[in-house]
Amino acid sequence: MKQPSIQSRLLATTTAVLVVFLALTAWVLDRTFYAAVITGAEEQLTQVIYSLMGSVDEDNGRLVFNDDLFEPRLSQPDSGLYAQVTTDLGELLWQSGSAVTTAVEIPQVESQPGTFVFGQSAHPSGQYHLSYMVFWEGVDTEQVTFAAATDQAPYRASINQFRRNLGVGLGAVTLVFVIAQLLALRWGLLPLRTMAEEVQQLEAGERSQLSAFYPRELEGLAGNLDRFVAHEERSRTRYRNALEDLAHSLKTPLAVMRNALLEQTPDKTLVEDQLDRMQTTVTHQLSKASARGPVVVGKVVDLGGMIQRLVTALQTAYHDRGIDVDLQLDQSCMALGDERDFMEVLGNLLENAFKYTTSKVRVSTPVSLEAEGVVVNIEDDGAGIPAALRQEVLNRGKRLDEMENGQGIGLAVVAELVDLYRGELSIGQSDLGGALISVRLPRSERP
Amino acid sequence: MRVLVVEDDQNLREQLAQHLKSDGFAVDTAQDGEEGLYYGREYVYDAAVVDLGLPKVDGIEVIRQLRSEQHRFPILVLTARGHWQDKVEGLEAGADDYLAKPFQMEELMARMNALIRRSAGYASPVLSQGELQLDTAKKEVRVSGTAVELTAYEYKVLEYLMLNPDRVVSKTELTDHLYEQDFDRDSNVIEVFVGRLRKKINPVDFIRTVRGQGYRFVTEG
Repeated sequence: MKQPSIQSRLLATTTAVLVVFLALTAWVLDRTFYAAVITGAEEQLTQVIYSLMGSVDEDNGRLVFNDDLFEPRLSQPDSGLYAQVTTDLGELLWQSGSAVTTAVEIPQVESQPGTFVFGQSAHPSGQYHLSYMVFWEGVDTEQVTFAAATDQAPYRASINQFRRNLGVGLGAVTLVFVIAQLLALRWGLLPLRTMAEEVQQLEAGERSQLSAFYPRELEGLAGNLDRFVAHEERSRTRYRNALEDLAHSLKTPLAVMRNALLEQTPDKTLVEDQLDRMQTTVTHQLSKASARGPVVVGKVVDLGGMIQRLVTALQTAYHDRGIDVDLQLDQSCMALGDERDFMEVLGNLLENAFKYTTSKVRVSTPVSLEAEGVVVNIEDDGAGIPAALRQEVLNRGKRLDEMENGQGIGLAVVAELVDLYRGELSIGQSDLGGALISVRLPRSERP
Repeated sequence: MRVLVVEDDQNLREQLAQHLKSDGFAVDTAQDGEEGLYYGREYVYDAAVVDLGLPKVDGIEVIRQLRSEQHRFPILVLTARGHWQDKVEGLEAGADDYLAKPFQMEELMARMNALIRRSAGYASPVLSQGELQLDTAKKEVRVSGTAVELTAYEYKVLEYLMLNPDRVVSKTELTDHLYEQDFDRDSNVIEVFVGRLRKKINPVDFIRTVRGQGYRFVTEG
C-alpha cells in the first residue's frame, strides 16, 4: 500500500486540529453572543417596565397612566415594543399604543411578587416578554402585573448576521491558514525533496555526491549517504580492479599451458607450476574482491569471541598436533567493521600459527591506551617468518601471484585487508621462539 | 574402509571416487544434500567428504543432522569460497577438518587417512602392533621390518581390523566396509582373505577367529 506523503500527513493533521479548534471557537462565540443579545432584550424590557412604573400615579384608589412615555416606540403602532398592565383578575388596566393596533397578547405569567419573569415565544416570529408583579398599596386591586414584550425578529436578525460574519471570518482564517501551512510545509520539506532529486541524480550517475547544504536535521543522513555512495564506489572499483587483475594474471599462465600442450610431450612440471600460479591468483584476487572494507553503518565485532570460535574450530582440525593455545583475551576487545573481513584476517593468521607452530600458540589482546585501534597479537613457537618474506609482505614488494604458496599468501591477504581498514600489521619475533604477528584494527567506542 | 562422497559437481565427484577407490576405499557417492543424508543415515561409514555448497540440503545442514542423529564417522568438508566463515561454520556443525578448493588429491587422501586414524585413536600414520607395522600412508605392511606383499583386499582387511582392535568384527561388517553397497559378496571370500593374510604375516598372530561371530584383532597385554 502506498504511504501518504509527509506533506499530506502534516497538512491533514494540522487542518483537522484547526477545524476542531475553530468549530469550538465558533460555538463558544455563538453562545456568548446569543446570551448577550437575549440579556440585551431583557434589559431593554426591564427599562420599559421601570419607566412604566415610574410614570404611574395613584388617584383615589385607581392607577393613572401617563401616555407620554419616554420610549416613543411604545406609542407607535407596530413598533415591535409593547407594554401592558393588568390586575390579578386579568383586567387590562393599560396597554401601550403600539399594542392597541397590533393586539399583541402578552402572556400572563405566574410569578412571585417583586421578581422579574423573562420568557420567550417558541416561534421565531414571536416575542421576548418580561413581567413584573407588585402589590400596590392603596389601589383597589392591589396586585398589579406590569409586562413588556418585544419582537424577536430584530434580535434574531442580528444573531443570524453575527453567525454569517463569524462563518465567513473563520472560513477565511481556515483558508489563509491552510495556504500558509502548505507554503510552510513546502518550504520546510524542500531539503527532503532536494535530497530525493539528488539521490535520483546519483542513481542516474549525474552527480557523485550530495550537495553540501542541508539543514542540521538532515546533515547526518546526507553525510551517511555520501559515505555509503563513496564506499560503494570504492568497493566497485576494488571489485573491478580485482577482476581485471585476475583476468590479466590468468592469461599468461593460460598461454603458457596452451603452448605447452603443442609439444609432443608436454612438460608436466611446467603445467603444474602454471596451475599453482593460477590457484594463488584466484585465491588472492577473490579475497580482495570480496573484502567489504570499513563499513558505513558501523557494526561492532567482538574480536575476543571471534578468536575463541576460530581457535576451537582450528583445534578440531589440528586435533592430532595437540597444540597448546594460550588465550589472553581482554573482554572489551571490540572492533568496528565487517565481521567477515575480520574473520579472514584472524582466520588466516591463526591458521598460519597452527600450521607452523611446534606445540604452543599464544593469542593476546593487550589493553592499549591507544584510542584508534584494538590490537591482537598472535605468536607461536615455530621457525618464525624469514626476514625476506616479512619485507615482501610488508612492503608489497612482490606481486602475490609470484609468491610461493604457504605462509605468504595468507599474510598478504591479511596485509591488504588491514590496509583497507587503515590498520597496521607488524611481523616480529616472539619470546616463544617463532613469529609474532601483531594487527591493529579500528576500535569500537561502544563496549 | 568405506567412505561417502557428497559433491554436486559430477567431474569432481567422479575424480574423488576414482582416487579414493584406487587408494583402497569403498566409495558411495551422493550428488546432493538429500541423497547424502539418506546414505549417511542408511549405511555405516568410516569417513565422509562433504561439499558445503550442495543443492537441496546444504552441507552444513547435512553435517548438523547426521551429528544430531549420533552418526560419529569423521567428516572432511570442502569449501569452494574458502571463506573463514564457511570453514568455522562447517567445523562448528560437527566436521573434523576442512579443505578449500582447489585442492590436491594427495592432500585430500592424506587428510582422509589421518581422520580415519584419528577416529580409531592412532596419532601416527604407522599403525604398529608388536612386530607388525602397517603404514597407512604408503599402504605398506612390514613384519619384523620386512615388507610383506599383500593384495589390495588383504591389506584392506588387515587395516580395518587394526583400526578396530580388541573388538569382534563380523564378516558382514567387513563386507560392508570393504565393498561398495551394490556388491553382494559371499562371506566365504572373507574367510579366504583372512586365511591368506594370516599365512603372509606369520609368525605374528593377532587375528583370532571368534566362532560364529567373526574376527578379533587382539593387542598385546
